[in-house]
Amino acid sequence: MAMNYNAKDEVDGGPPCPPGGTAKTRRPDNTAFKQQRLPAWQPILTAGTVLPTFFIIGLIFIPIGIGIFVTSNNIREIEGNVFMYYGLSNFYQNHRRYVKSRDDGQLNGDPSALLNPSKECEPYRRNEDKPIAPCGAIANNTLELFQVGNASDLTPIPLKKKGIAWWTDKNVKFRNPPGTDPLEERFKGTTKPVNWVKPVYMLDSDEDNNGFINEDFIVWMRTAALPTFRKLYRLIERKNDLHPTLPAGRYYLNITYNYPVHSFDGRKRMILSTISWMGGKNPFLGIAYITIGSISFLLGVVLLVINHKYRNSSNTADITI
Amino acid sequence: CSLLPSHLLTFYLSTHSTAKYSMWSFLPRYLYLQFSKTANAFFLFITILQQIPDVSPTGKYTTLVPLLVILVISGIKEIVEDYILLLIVNVGDIVKATNGQFLPADMVLISSSEPQATCFVATSNLDGETNLKIRQALSETATMKTEKQLSNLSGKIKCEEPNFHFNSFAGTLYLNEKSPISIGPDQVLLRGTQLKNTEWILGIVVYTGFETKFMQNAVKSPLKRSKVEKVTNMQILVLFLLLLVMSLVSCVGAIYWKDRYRAEPWYIGKSGNFGFDLLVFIILYHNLIPISLLVTLEIVKYIQALFINWDEDMHFKGSNVYAMARTSNLNEELGQVEYLFSDKTGTLTCNVMTFKKCSIAGITYGKSENFCHLLSFLVTLLTHSCCVPFLQPTKEYIKEFLTLLCVCHTVVPERGNNINYQASSPDEAALVKGAKKLGFVFTTRMPNSVTIEAMGEELTFEILNVLEFSSNRKRMSIIVRTPEGRLRLYCKGADSVIYERLSENSLFVEETLVHLENFAKEGLRTLCVAYIDLTEIEYEQWLVMYKKAITVVKDRMKTLEDCYDSIEKKFLLLGATAIEDRLQARVPETITSLLKANIKIWVLTGDKQETAINIAYSCKLLSGQMPRIQLNIISSLFQATQQVISQNCQDLGALLGKENDLALIIDGKTLKYALHVEVRKCFLNLALSCRTVLCCRLSPLQKAEIVDVVKKQVKAITLAIGDGANDVGMIQTAHVGVGISGNEGMLATNNSDYAIAQFSYLEKLLLVHGAWNYFRVTKCILYCFYKNVVLYIIELWFAIVNGFSGQIIFERWCISLYNVIFTSLPPFTLGIFERCCSQESLLRYPQLYRISQTGDIFNIKVLWIQCINAIVHSFILFWLPAKMLEHGSNFIVFCYVVVTVCLKAGLETMSWNKFTHFAIWGSIMIWLGFFAVYSSLWPTVPVAPEMTGQGSMALVCPHFWLGFFIVPIVCLIQNVAWKSNTCHRTLLEEVREMESSGVQVLRRDSVQRWPMCPRWGGVLISVTRMFTVHIYLLTASPCFALSDGYAFSQVERAVISQEELVRSYDTTKNKPQKTFSSATLE
Repeated sequence: MAMNYNAKDEVDGGPPCPPGGTAKTRRPDNTAFKQQRLPAWQPILTAGTVLPTFFIIGLIFIPIGIGIFVTSNNIREIEGNVFMYYGLSNFYQNHRRYVKSRDDGQLNGDPSALLNPSKECEPYRRNEDKPIAPCGAIANNTLELFQVGNASDLTPIPLKKKGIAWWTDKNVKFRNPPGTDPLEERFKGTTKPVNWVKPVYMLDSDEDNNGFINEDFIVWMRTAALPTFRKLYRLIERKNDLHPTLPAGRYYLNITYNYPVHSFDGRKRMILSTISWMGGKNPFLGIAYITIGSISFLLGVVLLVINHKYRNSSNTADITI
Repeated sequence: CSLLPSHLLTFYLSTHSTAKYSMWSFLPRYLYLQFSKTANAFFLFITILQQIPDVSPTGKYTTLVPLLVILVISGIKEIVEDYILLLIVNVGDIVKATNGQFLPADMVLISSSEPQATCFVATSNLDGETNLKIRQALSETATMKTEKQLSNLSGKIKCEEPNFHFNSFAGTLYLNEKSPISIGPDQVLLRGTQLKNTEWILGIVVYTGFETKFMQNAVKSPLKRSKVEKVTNMQILVLFLLLLVMSLVSCVGAIYWKDRYRAEPWYIGKSGNFGFDLLVFIILYHNLIPISLLVTLEIVKYIQALFINWDEDMHFKGSNVYAMARTSNLNEELGQVEYLFSDKTGTLTCNVMTFKKCSIAGITYGKSENFCHLLSFLVTLLTHSCCVPFLQPTKEYIKEFLTLLCVCHTVVPERGNNINYQASSPDEAALVKGAKKLGFVFTTRMPNSVTIEAMGEELTFEILNVLEFSSNRKRMSIIVRTPEGRLRLYCKGADSVIYERLSENSLFVEETLVHLENFAKEGLRTLCVAYIDLTEIEYEQWLVMYKKAITVVKDRMKTLEDCYDSIEKKFLLLGATAIEDRLQARVPETITSLLKANIKIWVLTGDKQETAINIAYSCKLLSGQMPRIQLNIISSLFQATQQVISQNCQDLGALLGKENDLALIIDGKTLKYALHVEVRKCFLNLALSCRTVLCCRLSPLQKAEIVDVVKKQVKAITLAIGDGANDVGMIQTAHVGVGISGNEGMLATNNSDYAIAQFSYLEKLLLVHGAWNYFRVTKCILYCFYKNVVLYIIELWFAIVNGFSGQIIFERWCISLYNVIFTSLPPFTLGIFERCCSQESLLRYPQLYRISQTGDIFNIKVLWIQCINAIVHSFILFWLPAKMLEHGSNFIVFCYVVVTVCLKAGLETMSWNKFTHFAIWGSIMIWLGFFAVYSSLWPTVPVAPEMTGQGSMALVCPHFWLGFFIVPIVCLIQNVAWKSNTCHRTLLEEVREMESSGVQVLRRDSVQRWPMCPRWGGVLISVTRMFTVHIYLLTASPCFALSDGYAFSQVERAVISQEELVRSYDTTKNKPQKTFSSATLE
């Protein structure tokens, strides 16, 4: 039955169309969100908004930069605590094989990991059928580097070896195996890394700086991001009098060479520095601030000139788009 | 295969297994579906690579976990959407459906409430046909109506494999201890059809879910992808190549590095080989491919589609229909449309027919608006006294004319308080309704007669024969015995066919022809009406012939038509009717606006040329002074077409290929030749040089063909809009198909990408949603490319300083979460809330549409400029902190990346609402919070030992904060400088400035200061002048147009013939609960 067209009695000029056969009963709420009428801020990058921004950036950055630069340069005078760093160049502590070659569980004092280190440590996982503690390549070539001594007939400068590692590293991340036994007992069943002279429990006589929580060890284990890096080695604490920590004079540094770097064109350095409120000496940051501030200021001037020059002609151009 | 007594409603089928949708097979099917997507396959590939021991620098699970999350989420979606639905009915279930219900599956009818086990279904959801279909159960099962009977029913049904043919079904029913019975389409009820005029039915389910014919058809519609998506996919491939190149470069770098030391340094273990390194680097850089982009886009587009669905401005209150985005793939394509192909009937017009005018016995009625009054006044005059002499001769003609309108049709009256007419033809309904207003009321239809009330007098006409309408015949006739006992044939049809058959004695031939021409010029649909008195002998002779014809098996249709033809002759003309097909609301305004937006509008219609031209005039597509080129070939000669087209091309000369203020009008016959391979190019050149193109008398196939030609040759984005089954082809062919959810069933809507209720909603759909979505999607894509390149190119810079060892610079989960958490919100706000300017401005200045239309803000060049920009940023982001914080940590770099990338999103955002603020500032805060928390997890939670203490160290370090402010500014200052180009302001910038300066209501005159297209300008006027001469020649050339406005719509070749139909009704009987259409129900 061809009976679907419904000729309703509608008045001429009545509603434009009769209902379709598909009346939906969806009833969306008439909210600003659904009708896409949420209030919004429309930023426009015009001369009026951009130019002040450039000038403000310039005006803020240049003084900050100068401030940083001056502070950084003042670090020259060795007053306050002096930090002693060792530096290495061309040493890829960030190499993938190197970075992953460690067992953080073992270093955290986990007894099961102590005797059964992670496979990531290969080939420095086991030696002569005994697990290596600490295992892995990072640990394998450490420590022997730090043999600094003073000339015997000179006044020795006291070097503080605690307080150089991050607090979280020393107290959270690195833990000796649990127990009350002497450290040697707790490391029983493990062997020292191949390149080490002493086992890990004989690094220091101070119980609080021995084993995995030896700070020299901890500092080394925090791998550097770049192939040229420096690591904190010792602190020279300022004495209570008004003298500089290291007064002008001649100092001797005795270094034993037992860490070969020639094979990979490596360089070793020793750095002495103080730090200011913003860290160690670093002129680059100040220069960066000054440069960016100046560029921003310059851009502002250039745009101002362009804008001024073309403003009149632009108005007429708009109308004839 | 027998029925178990306990399973009352189960019937066993032996054909195909339904296990296709079982729990067991869901998983493999689903996984296959998921991994056939390139992105997921790539994900899987990386996951597998990561499982090789020692290869992955990022661990084994960093890709696996996100992949699983995505799979689980879309798996749940899949299950909810499809799987659950399939569980409702199973094959073999016996289902009872009641009147008005939509059927849930394909089923075989067992029995029904109606006599002879028949039932009626509306199939408009499936095939768009508006007429009801009759289905009848097999006599063997027709008696099974009670539960007890059904429980004793056992047997099996064999049926064909699932297919998409609506009108075919082959099956066999094997009832126990009975011979097999064949089942045909007459016994099958399809999913999606609606039960009508039937109290209830019982059926056995044979196909469910995807196997139903409804779904088989749904699957067929082509998958459309937008231009932006295609470009993006291509560039993702290019990025993949870049990934390979970077991996290879890094491998070479690794070789060089090893070579420098002849062997590797003693402190590093032995290394892998080249192939091993390659895998390492592929995993290292794999995030360069913005996999997250695809997921982000899917969600963003889904929400964009929701915005379209929610839009109150596209809500047609008349029928409570909202716009519907049936796909979200093409949201941004809506912003790029250059060619609009529109159907006429039902799309530009309402498809509501109103009987407006008529010509009776050489006099037209209804010149003014109050046509009804005038005519009824005349009728009153006729009835009461015949004192007006000049009307006297026409009185009988008027009576006869109106009687014909009341009798000669297939309309069924539905008795209520008021008579409602149900008709498959809107034209017939309009005529019968019109006659009613004039005092000739059609009241009752009986199987063999119709009764009318002619000015209070009840007359019954015996219906002897119905000579059916077909588009071939262009007419329908009815043979009746009048109350006076005379035999008479009433006929209505196209002027061309009626005039051919007029008797020599026929009067008013010339006058009526003039009137017809006038009607057509007004855009009215015309029909001629005529009659002839038959003698008994004539009729008897014809009846013999007719009876023979209806029994013919071969070519019955042709034989019948010949038979009809033999009696339809020597007509006496009564007059002509004119029906108005009203324009939809706001059509002219919409078209003006779309033309301003530089969208070329082509009208493709099956209707007559004159009707189409008139509609084009009334909707402002054509204007009075607009020159027209008409291509109509009378002689169907290919050479003639070719000649005319090339002649026109020559006439255009230098203007060819440019856009001129011209209109091209062509008919289907000529188009057939014009689209011939040799002429095609020439024709297209001509057509594209015109602003408006009207194609008339097109078949559905031709509509699709023309869209296809333009799509392929012009390489512009096309949009087709239509409402009927005949528009499905072009809707599917065009880049974007829009369906009007109107009167002509659901077929166009079901095949469209977007469904709207009114043509005028197209304005908002394109100019607002389209433009916005284009800005949104492209910005989202550009931004996702940017942020991935920034982060992962840093890995390359880092590789240079770590000996190309494949070490990651950041912690592995930070890298994984970068796209998932830290920078996931800005792409969403860009994709969902970005707004170039307000809706009002976009509608007020349609010229703004050109920005998205030309695609200047997103193409390969823009994309790679963005990528290069990202590489520069990554360079700054790596090397500046590396120099600045000599012994600093690499995680600080990650902080700077997150900050820079979030601020970059802010720079790209043109409109900040509360969500944008949350996304940009929130993301930075989330990262800082995460950084603080994450770096204190070890060893309580066994993740990220290398992060331990980083947060507390960095967040209190002045260097960190000094860098925190300077590094992002160094990166972004160049972008700001680049963007703040102050000398050339675009239209968009001006509009935005106006908006922000608080000028809410913009003056109209300011619009006119921006001409639509600068290229036109003064040239336009001279073109027009030059062309008036040509046009004169052109229209006088072979282009001859017969000015008839014939148009008639009627369902043809239905299962039940029109004759059967009129015979099956007796409207004197009351049928409780019976309704003829859903419209009446409401």
